[in-house]
Amino acid sequence: MAAIIEVEKLTKSYGGTRGIVDVTFQIEEGEVFGFLGPNGAGKTTTIRVLMALLRADSGTARIAGLDVWEKSLEVKRLIGYVPGEPALDRNLTGGQILEYFANLRGGVDRAYLKTLIERLDLDTSRKFRQYSTGNKRKVVLIQAFMHRPRVLILDEPTSGLDPLNQQEFDGMVKEAREEGRTVFLSSHVLSEVEKTCTRVAIIRDGGIVRIGGVHELNDIKRYEITITFANPVPAETFKALEGVTEVEPLDHGHGVRLAMQGSADAVIKAAARYSVVSLTSYEPSLEDIFLRYYERDGQAPKEAVGV
Amino acid sequence: MFRSIYLKSLRDYRVPILGWGLGLGALMATVLVAVPTIFATPAAKAAVVSLGASYAWIAEPIKIDTAGGYATWKYGITILVVVIWPLLAGTGMLRGEEERGSLDVLLAAPRGRVRVVLEKLAALWTALLIFGVIVGLLTFAGGAKLNGEVTLGGTLGFGINLALICAVFGSVGFLVSQFTQERRTASGLTAALLLVAIVVDMVHRVVANTEWLSRLSPVYYYNLSKPLVPGYGVNLGAMVFLAALTGVFAGAGVWFFARRDVGGVVFQLPSRRPSSTRALPTSDWSLRSLYARSLGMITPSTLWWTLIIALLGAWLVIIVKQTETQLRSLLQGSNYFAQVIKLGGTDTATNEAILSALFLFLPILLMAFAVTQANRWSADEEEGLLDIVLSTPQPRLRVLLVRFAALATATIFISVVTLFAAASAAAAYGVTLDYGNLAAASLSMIPLGLLVAALGYLFSGWLRAAFDTGLLSFLLVIWFFISFIGPSLKLPDVVEKLSPFFYYGTPLIHGVQLGDLLVVVAVGAAALALASYRFARKDIAV
Repeated sequence: MAAIIEVEKLTKSYGGTRGIVDVTFQIEEGEVFGFLGPNGAGKTTTIRVLMALLRADSGTARIAGLDVWEKSLEVKRLIGYVPGEPALDRNLTGGQILEYFANLRGGVDRAYLKTLIERLDLDTSRKFRQYSTGNKRKVVLIQAFMHRPRVLILDEPTSGLDPLNQQEFDGMVKEAREEGRTVFLSSHVLSEVEKTCTRVAIIRDGGIVRIGGVHELNDIKRYEITITFANPVPAETFKALEGVTEVEPLDHGHGVRLAMQGSADAVIKAAARYSVVSLTSYEPSLEDIFLRYYERDGQAPKEAVGV
Repeated sequence: MFRSIYLKSLRDYRVPILGWGLGLGALMATVLVAVPTIFATPAAKAAVVSLGASYAWIAEPIKIDTAGGYATWKYGITILVVVIWPLLAGTGMLRGEEERGSLDVLLAAPRGRVRVVLEKLAALWTALLIFGVIVGLLTFAGGAKLNGEVTLGGTLGFGINLALICAVFGSVGFLVSQFTQERRTASGLTAALLLVAIVVDMVHRVVANTEWLSRLSPVYYYNLSKPLVPGYGVNLGAMVFLAALTGVFAGAGVWFFARRDVGGVVFQLPSRRPSSTRALPTSDWSLRSLYARSLGMITPSTLWWTLIIALLGAWLVIIVKQTETQLRSLLQGSNYFAQVIKLGGTDTATNEAILSALFLFLPILLMAFAVTQANRWSADEEEGLLDIVLSTPQPRLRVLLVRFAALATATIFISVVTLFAAASAAAAYGVTLDYGNLAAASLSMIPLGLLVAALGYLFSGWLRAAFDTGLLSFLLVIWFFISFIGPSLKLPDVVEKLSPFFYYGTPLIHGVQLGDLLVVVAVGAAALALASYRFARKDIAV
């Protein structure tokens, strides 16, 4: 398949402040592509350049073969966009906002629009200023999907959504992929990208550090398990198990915190031999993962690998 | 400066304190410096005294032949334009923070609500005190060469009295904002109350035996003190009353705030809910296009400004009828008056000549309206409101020009309604006017308003909303200074030509001055073209 988004050596700075440096990646048509990075890594800057809201200092960005700056109007006909911060007219109702943007796009399929409203359970009669953060996000999501765009560019689209609506959003993305549309979504949550995307690029400090299939995230993926036991259990029980990278005894042997990578099967089976009071699993933030993966190991950020 | 809410709030006020304080102080100082020139001959002095009597409806002329008396009379109520800043500060103190969501975070700190708001109020009052002292000191500096006629005590009293009336309307704004969902609504309502207060105070100077009515206005008590007038001094009781009013309004505001929801209002009216919560509006005209939406956005504020400008236009016509006789004799006998109303025309003693001088307030108001709209354009970009609009297939150039077109429509609407209001008032009160010239005077305001808007759009290409508005307001003050005070200072012609008011000319007397207006149109068009060029290439909301 041909690349629908092509970004090459894209650089943008804000005066003397770093934005992004030499960002390069390609997205095939029909892909759901995740753009992963901690806060301030350069995700929003990249997306705003793609949306022609910012002008790149150097490099090129093309969507469907069209330069995003020179041919911005043609590009925007193809795109549905969710900004990182949903800012809309506070005095309009959700319904009025959707009606307005439908008109600016030359009209949309109203039946499909109503379906989206129902799926995300949006009350369109309330003013934007009266909405909760999650409902504001719903309005912005619906306006991005309502014209069935060929490309969806979504900047942290699920931020503020409750789990039910996140699930509904996942369904909408899945349908878009099944219809052959392309989704480019940014996130700072590893599990979200893992769940929705087929490929992923990781950006850090303004530069791409890794690109590859979503399964390739496994080698950087870390999580923690904390187990509390009814009686003391030696920490050594878990040290040699598959998937365990660190062991920390807690509460005089009554508990253990395990840093994990990969399958937890061996740990669960080992723990099952004792009387377990509780077991919790925690996914550290992307920044924590990066700190461990790229810095604690004494490695410099890796060059972009694979596509 | 970040050790307490009080110090942080005071820090937030530092730019306006200096801006308004230095600006107003410099204005007062300039007038006092110019006094010896204005009173150069006994005839000129006599003319000013006569003029003062005729304009008593604007400001009571007391010892107008002294520097302090002249300065007090000259600025009269117009000096109350300075109240705009504390008014905005008062309405935005809580409501502005509530709109941004920052009050939630502030109230999460271990501070009681009442303490938070009292610290903020104390910061505003301290800021106003500093403002008053700056004005007082600069005014004193301006009058330093007047052989002790202007005293430090007098000028400080003047500054403090001004700070007190500012504090009253700041507190009114603060109180009103407890009842409105938006800061803008509170500001509009408080500005309307300010105008009502000014008019109510004026009534007793125009209509006999109505002092009881004027006593209802805080402005009346402000005017009871005239510290710059030799031997007149301050009315301590009136100043204490203004301070008490400030306390009462602020206290009521604090009382309501302590009891209402953050983000809510004191009285929540039941809202009319549509039958379906999933419905989409289908017949809303303002959602059909960029232009319609732009127009819809500015419609409420346009209607308010239309009301104010058109009513003022009509009222000026009525006032002309009342002062016609006195002014006619002055026009014929006073060289000084001829100089003062140079812009208003000097060669005829008709109603048009009188009205022409007064009518100049209208384009100033229209330009102030344009400043507010340019601010809104700039603020919309800053707050990210253009991001999604620009993600639709609408060219940037179109987004800017359509918004400007909506503003142009509003400007034309205001001017046309003002024309009809003034013409109706003239017909109703039997004021003889050339209606063609009246149309010229009303419609010639349009290019001035659009010039200010175009400059605002241009500046927004580089400046944030606050600085854009500050620069535009500064330009308005400078232009006002050049055209209205410049003649007293005998500024060179080339300087006078820097002000758009010069090109507005005297349409009420001489009809449309097309050549001059074309200069304004050309400069405005150039500014808009540059603004468009910049907007099409700039980074949005950076």
